[in-house]
Amino acid sequence: MKWWPVRGITRHLTEKSSYELDSSVKPMNNIFKRSLHIYMIDVGNSNLLNFELKALQSTQYNTHRFGIYFSDSPRHSDLLIVLGKPTEKMITPLMNTIKQMPEPFGILIVEEDEVFDLKLPNVVGRLKNPEPSEILGTLLKIMGRN
Amino acid sequence: MIFAYIALLLYTLGIVLSFKRENSYILSAIGSVFATIAGIVGTFYPFELGRIGLLPHVYMSMGVTHTSGIFMTVAAIAWIAISIYSIDYGKFYSKDMGVWLNLSILGMMIILMAKDGLTFITGWEIMTASSYLLILKHKGSFKEAFEFLAFGELSTVGLIIAFASLFLKNGNFSFTQNSGTVLFLIASTFAFIVKMGIFPFHTWLIGAHAKAPSNVSALLSAPLTLMGVYGIFMALSIMPDLHLYNFEWWGLLAVAFGAMSAFWGALQAVATKQLKALPAYSTIENNGMILAAIGISLIAAGDPSLTILSEFAITTALLLVISHTFSKSLLFLSVGHAKEALDEDNIDDLRGAWSSVGRIPALGILLSGLSFSAFPPLIGFVGEWALLESFFQSYKFQSLAARLVTTFSGIFIALAIGMAAFSMIKLAGYTALGYDHGKKAKKMRSIFMRISESFLMVLVLGFGIFAPFVVRYFGYSQFTSGLFGVPSPFLMISSIPIFGVVSPTFFAIVASVLFLFPLAFYLARRHGVRRVNSWNGGLPLEKNEYFSAPAYSAILEIVLKKIYITREKHLNGEAHIEVVDIVNVFYDALKKSVLKVESVLSSTLMNGNINAYVAYIFAIFVVIFLIAG
Amino acid sequence: MKILLGTFRKDDEEYYIVQEDGVISIEMDPQDMYIANYSLAKSRDLIVVPEKSVKNGEGVFDFRYGPVTSGIGEAGVYHLYTYGERILSVEIDLSYKHRDIVKRMIGLDPEHGLKMAENICGNFAFSHSFAFSMAVESGVGKIIDSKSQRLRIIALELERIYNHLYVISQLAQAAAQKVFASHMSYLFEESLRLNKAFSGSRYLKNFNKIGGIKDFDDGKIQNLKTNIQKIVNDFRDLYDRSLVSGNFLDRLYSTTVLKVQDAVNFGITGPTLRAAGAKEDLRYEDKRYDDLKVPIRNDGDALSRMEVRAEEIFESERIILKECEKFNLDVEKSNDSNKGIGYAESPTGTIVYKVDVKNSILSDLYIVTPSFWGFNGLVNSLTGNVFTDFQFGVESFGINFADAAL
Repeated sequence: MKWWPVRGITRHLTEKSSYELDSSVKPMNNIFKRSLHIYMIDVGNSNLLNFELKALQSTQYNTHRFGIYFSDSPRHSDLLIVLGKPTEKMITPLMNTIKQMPEPFGILIVEEDEVFDLKLPNVVGRLKNPEPSEILGTLLKIMGRN
Repeated sequence: MIFAYIALLLYTLGIVLSFKRENSYILSAIGSVFATIAGIVGTFYPFELGRIGLLPHVYMSMGVTHTSGIFMTVAAIAWIAISIYSIDYGKFYSKDMGVWLNLSILGMMIILMAKDGLTFITGWEIMTASSYLLILKHKGSFKEAFEFLAFGELSTVGLIIAFASLFLKNGNFSFTQNSGTVLFLIASTFAFIVKMGIFPFHTWLIGAHAKAPSNVSALLSAPLTLMGVYGIFMALSIMPDLHLYNFEWWGLLAVAFGAMSAFWGALQAVATKQLKALPAYSTIENNGMILAAIGISLIAAGDPSLTILSEFAITTALLLVISHTFSKSLLFLSVGHAKEALDEDNIDDLRGAWSSVGRIPALGILLSGLSFSAFPPLIGFVGEWALLESFFQSYKFQSLAARLVTTFSGIFIALAIGMAAFSMIKLAGYTALGYDHGKKAKKMRSIFMRISESFLMVLVLGFGIFAPFVVRYFGYSQFTSGLFGVPSPFLMISSIPIFGVVSPTFFAIVASVLFLFPLAFYLARRHGVRRVNSWNGGLPLEKNEYFSAPAYSAILEIVLKKIYITREKHLNGEAHIEVVDIVNVFYDALKKSVLKVESVLSSTLMNGNINAYVAYIFAIFVVIFLIAG
Repeated sequence: MKILLGTFRKDDEEYYIVQEDGVISIEMDPQDMYIANYSLAKSRDLIVVPEKSVKNGEGVFDFRYGPVTSGIGEAGVYHLYTYGERILSVEIDLSYKHRDIVKRMIGLDPEHGLKMAENICGNFAFSHSFAFSMAVESGVGKIIDSKSQRLRIIALELERIYNHLYVISQLAQAAAQKVFASHMSYLFEESLRLNKAFSGSRYLKNFNKIGGIKDFDDGKIQNLKTNIQKIVNDFRDLYDRSLVSGNFLDRLYSTTVLKVQDAVNFGITGPTLRAAGAKEDLRYEDKRYDDLKVPIRNDGDALSRMEVRAEEIFESERIILKECEKFNLDVEKSNDSNKGIGYAESPTGTIVYKVDVKNSILSDLYIVTPSFWGFNGLVNSLTGNVFTDFQFGVESFGINFADAAL
């Protein structure tokens, strides 16, 4: 086994690429240019979108260098990412979560094969079956960096 | 001088006129006002009330000295609050509660004014007996009242031995300078620490406070244990010159026992679930801190270069006395108000007193809880700051024993302060501030209860903010000074040359000024505020989903399971945690063995055999002949 | 030992889906078996309750964790009954993720049914499609060509590898082994990219079709061989280092123990059962896998489950490389006799599909998922642990709400 610090320093895991743009996304408020805190809520997807968001937090994408952080409470977040089409029972918790978000906030809707049909406030974009690079490009556009 | 006479008269009237409940309490309130004035006067101009001669050279006399004036002021203010509170609260109990309350306060006043042993013991017994009768007013409290009486009489035994030793040395019982002996010191200290509830003689406190009416709990906790502290001050004041003789051993024992009490009290307060047992353990903790402060003072007194530390430690003890008396009375009175209104016994069941019982009792619980948690600028903060300063300065001690004992005791004191904050958060957070689950409070007239609670709240806040002036009132103006932007005498210092400083006055001023900014901001933007429910995973909380008070302290009970002897009991689909105060186990074993010996002895002696009784009569005759001869 | 996985009714008769020694069989009246989970199999209740519930006592309250919380990630509720640190009993509410998929699949043609089966649980997408296609194909008696069979085996193992990498990275995250977790997340993302290079989809969706896998470019095999070895060698190095860290192992050792008899009584299969001590693997009796090493442990705690998963990753790499070597050869015929039944060894256990096709549409459907039984085992193994062990229990089982609630 190589000595651990040597192994860590000699591997450069973060990739250097510019991420794809999604032109249907409007930038949010200017204050999020360097810091965006995200709260993800699963309302009934097939767990695939959860895995994609987990993959987004891996070292290749390294979202922290852009100031993108995942927070543990809707009260501490700027952007709410809604994953999937809500089941009947999840509509009330979703609305309660939105009520807890402090102004200014935005909502990013991520769909799988089924279309999301609820009316939500402050929607900044919609994605369909995205890959993490697409999600990251969208987030950077929302922050106003792309 | 006349004030003291008026006070005594009013108390006696209160006893006599108790056929109308409210009269006796009003009279005791007015009497306590006069007692306060008498105390203030006596602090600056000590006076005597005259003497009664019993035997040649044996007198009974009363009067007020500088020290007893301070204690009388503090105790009398507590009596005022308790009496006013009882005007409303006494309605729930029988008429003779007024009698015993007045009698008990009368006994305490006699103790504070006693200038000789006989008067002292008279007052002591009056106080103990009437308190016993007061505890009995609560239903089903016989066992706890009896334990109170038993420990009270134990302290009386100590006093008898102490005063007998005085008589043997001086030929009378008077408290004059240099009249004390070592036996007197030991016996009287023992008596007074039993009264203060120092570990391991604290078990009676828990039962007596928990199973007594709330105004009696306040009386037992604040002024009664104050008598123990006053007793120690008095005993030390009549010992021969402390600079010549070495009483370091007493100081070390006091520091050790005091710190152990403080730690033990705080530890058990964390784990208790009963509403009034928590403040009772807090009393043990505070009295331990007072004893430790007195101990440091005595260790420092043996070294001529540490006079300032010795005086500062006495100041500490006095500050802690004030803090404990006012905050504990406030806590018991407010908790009693909430308890009576909602008719519950556990911390968990008394939630939401703010909305269901009233703002003032809830604020009382909150403020006294904060004071015990050493929250600035309340009086509890000043007291605990001073205690920690005294302990920090223990590096100045010369002997190795003193340094070791104070270091380790300091560790226990620090742990106690931390755990006290934890337990007070549990009490105040759950009773005053929790959700009330729609509980409805009993309708009762509570105007006097609220007056009394507000009065104490003003004192707790005021004595904290103006603590430098309180220190000057004690006569220790060398510990107030000025530095940089804080003009003299608003700054409290702990030593000369300067060791540590604090200014609760200026803290309060700065905090108020800084508070104006968020206040202005809030008033300007009030319309942009959105009100939401608390965040609980997306759904509103059901009643059985609220975090319970026992669960709050469960983490400490499980981590320290060796000390608490924690048992997690599971039985038939039900589970709970049980903790034990180890000292109780010891006393239970003692009780069992005494009962066993007593039953064996009584069945052997009174065995129903006529021959044995004849033999006893015969033996008595023989003994009488021998003595008469 | 026989494990009851599910029951269904056909023509007024009750049939039992049973697994024993790596073989799935449909029995009418299972002999010599203590059917502990029969009522659960029949009711498929979406509120999972333990055998012995403790809800009362001084200070006992319901600590509701969910449905929206960042600790679990999915939409489900854990009701933890506790008087403080100790978890006295657990109830799990799966109904927030219930999308009624079985009802929606009936009436579709098999191709659309396959798409919906892949959407039941995204990270088990290929296992579901493997089992579903096997059920449909065996129902109509279709024979699959060797290349498709080898591709299916490879893809199943790829899914196993990325799911196990995910579980181990989650365990590392929960134990605050931040460096280890970061490196594991790197490998996780790399394995997803490998999936995309191999099949065109990061989660191997739309790869399998009813009747086999068509239009596969053989040049991808070389790429697969190189990259899978890179990923698993990297993992081997990290895993050896993690086993040395007492700090990490301490959190997993004897946490949320599930003994073998309890696991069998709850219909649990997969790494959880193998970590408890039973040698049960659907691939063991399958002639297409020769010389399969099934890792077994005896303790049944979270550490055993992690060790079983790590060794399965190495075994999966070996299977993939072997299949790549023999890519153009013919496959051994498997001795299957159940018509309309398809099954797969998913990363968390056995998936079984019972499919009836009439006039080219799905007329009846019964699905057995491993997560449903996994949650039943979880509620019983969490009892008696403290709050800090909760995350390890949940992550080490490797179960998903989407898979359990259907």
